[in-house]
Amino acid sequence: MATLTCERFGKAFASPLVLASGPAGFGVELSAALDASSVGAITTKTITPEPRSGNAQPRLVDCPAGAINSIGLENPGIESFVRNDHPAIERLPIPRLLSLAAASASQMSALVRRVGDLDGYEAIELNLSCPNIGGAITGADAGAVGEFTRAAAGESALPVLVKLPGDTGNLVESCEAALRQGAAGLTLINSLRGLRIDWSTGVPCLSRIYGGLSGPAIFPIALARVYEVRRAFPETVIIGTGGVSDLGSLLEMLLAGADFVGLGFGMMVDPQLPEKLCGKLETWLDDRSFKSVQEIMGLAHSGGFNVH
Amino acid sequence: MEDKTNDAMRATQCGSRFFWQRGQLIDRRLSAKYARVLLRGPTVPTDVEVGQFVLVRYSEDPCLPRAFSILSGSDLGLELFVKTDGRVREKFATAPMGTEFDIRGPYGTAYRDTISSDCQYILVGGGSGAAPLLHFRKRYPHLVAGEVYGFRTRDPVDLLPEVVLTVECDGGQRAHERLAEIWTPGVGIIACGPEPMLRLLGEGYGNEPHVYVSLEARIGCGIGTCLGCSIETRLGMQRICREGPLFALKDLPWLR
Repeated sequence: MATLTCERFGKAFASPLVLASGPAGFGVELSAALDASSVGAITTKTITPEPRSGNAQPRLVDCPAGAINSIGLENPGIESFVRNDHPAIERLPIPRLLSLAAASASQMSALVRRVGDLDGYEAIELNLSCPNIGGAITGADAGAVGEFTRAAAGESALPVLVKLPGDTGNLVESCEAALRQGAAGLTLINSLRGLRIDWSTGVPCLSRIYGGLSGPAIFPIALARVYEVRRAFPETVIIGTGGVSDLGSLLEMLLAGADFVGLGFGMMVDPQLPEKLCGKLETWLDDRSFKSVQEIMGLAHSGGFNVH
Repeated sequence: MEDKTNDAMRATQCGSRFFWQRGQLIDRRLSAKYARVLLRGPTVPTDVEVGQFVLVRYSEDPCLPRAFSILSGSDLGLELFVKTDGRVREKFATAPMGTEFDIRGPYGTAYRDTISSDCQYILVGGGSGAAPLLHFRKRYPHLVAGEVYGFRTRDPVDLLPEVVLTVECDGGQRAHERLAEIWTPGVGIIACGPEPMLRLLGEGYGNEPHVYVSLEARIGCGIGTCLGCSIETRLGMQRICREGPLFALKDLPWLR
């Protein structure tokens, strides 16, 4: 049987599937349902220096093939996280990535320093692209991306991943800035800014008007961004995230060059999605005599299956 | 085979809550705007607590599943009382008998774990918010001091023969007005319905000790992880799908 194991950052991950930051919380509630052998890693909800209560209701609205959310980075803040949440996360039978956000590079530096002595994380993911907290999106400005990444990478013994937006700024420039300043990989993309208006009342559906669109609706956009960045940076680690919900979209994301594939919206719909996808992926690889999922990563850049 | 065994083992360990179960539409009564439907399948959850909800989707719809309060759960199946607008709800009204739906749950904290059992309650429902209260009256008749089920029109009267409805267009009386006639100090209130109705209760009964409201929001994951349904309470941020859906009115300053 083909192996789904992915070796990156000097470690073997059980599968290329990564639970994206947000929908899976801290993984604790989900752990009873998750088959650890089908999940490469879980990314925690984003933690900020201070507690955040997030945005007012309504925070979620349906869309054709997806949803727009406006959670607003609700989280307990780093001190409460370390005290109350980290101990349970550390016991999860799945590798963890720690998602962090801060308002400035110096705050990010302090935040990364604060988590430096926590055991149990494989990497830190800098969320520089949340569309739901107001103000400019850091990830849209290559200069700011470089600053935040330098601030984090300088304090971290762990690999630093940078999560960037798919709809603002020059993505390749932002990626370059992150990699130049010490990022070990990139998470592409965050949810895309979207809007819905309740046509029965004439007002926007979400309390903050705009939110982040996720789900199958954004898959082709996420795929294009992963393909574009893989072409520009053949060696870096990429977590391709955005609307993957079935075997076809998972394969496309891997073929476009993702090392790992993030599941966000799909986990809200079906907490069993990782094991369903892994089962189908294994069968698909076996049917085509691939020995490892790593053999198909990025093949769309080099002629597809026919030349291999 | 081995996968299925593991699946069943984990389903048992976590009470099947995270697993989609397939249920067939086996009975339906319709009015112009509401439906009372019964879903049944070998693994469809029927052992449900009053106040809990299930997530339902139709044919692997690429949208988020829809949350429904439970009217009753028994050997006959899982009974829901729903308004027939929206993607899933419309299917309840139009799909042929035998149509399969995916069901996940039950989720949410049972009403009995939130309320005080030291007093009796007047149940106040508005629209499809009547569903969990009809479940409550059936399960805990000794805790019911009175009932008010408010609807704008007579449309659902035949769907709910077990109770008397307060119909606005009949006598011009709304649910909170009927409540004012029958409520006496010391009696509690459990309310479930649209936010304007709950706000009126908040204005009138915000300082009473045993008043509880069942809240609604667009539910995302249903299991407390996505925080799509978080609300501010006096006790901090709480999730409608996890700590809720029932909250003490005194803990919701924004509703008083």
